[in-house]
Amino acid sequence: MTVIAANDDVAARDWREAVREAAAALVAAGAAGEGYPAACERVVEENGPYIVLTKGLALVHARPEDGGLAVGVGVTRLAAPVEFGHPDNDPVDLLLAFCTPDPDAHVGTLAALARSLSGGLAGRLRAAPGREDLARALKEAVPDA
Amino acid sequence: MALDRRLEVLAVCGVGMGSSLMLKMTAEDALSSLGVDARVENTDVSSARGMSPDVVIGQGMHTGEIADLAPVVITISDFLDKDGLAAQLKERLTEQGWLP
Repeated sequence: MTVIAANDDVAARDWREAVREAAAALVAAGAAGEGYPAACERVVEENGPYIVLTKGLALVHARPEDGGLAVGVGVTRLAAPVEFGHPDNDPVDLLLAFCTPDPDAHVGTLAALARSLSGGLAGRLRAAPGREDLARALKEAVPDA
Repeated sequence: MALDRRLEVLAVCGVGMGSSLMLKMTAEDALSSLGVDARVENTDVSSARGMSPDVVIGQGMHTGEIADLAPVVITISDFLDKDGLAAQLKERLTEQGWLP
């Protein structure tokens, strides 16, 4: 069972705030522990902006031991886009965050998400009229949510 | 000469469990569209150093660190761009004589 979270019209001054807000949605939904947002920020600090997977979209996450309590996926739509310093895919207006309690539990969920992203999920998330619709669009993309 | 075995492909990212998993899915689709029999795994850059795949795929900030790891190292910036990846794979695998 995957936990779903959605955050709309989020104000973020920079990528750090955006990443923390995206991860905080998972904490609020009970899928991740309090330390998860800071851990997600560190992943980008240590590894660079590679989490910006495609134009305008970042995949936010840390490791299971950083506070993954359940498999959770959250979508965060920013009020205004931020720069991550990615050579091709900036600026970012949409963030997908996930957490997982162990290194394998999330694989099915992420695979489904990847298929949905190839099938235009990012466009559907951007077009969703409000938070409820945003959550519904994400939920449809994750089979066991 | 075509490979007489399954092509070993490695998708890399910083942590090895999110972005590289997305990339693995994209790579599987791209390879299957080319009719290539391949096994795609995903991992982080540090673990990748101990492996010996035929093909490595990742973002430039990572493939730059492991440019000598495999005969074919492919850099992409859009992890969801199946067609772009298929085009790069086609060109690079043809150079190696690995396409069926």
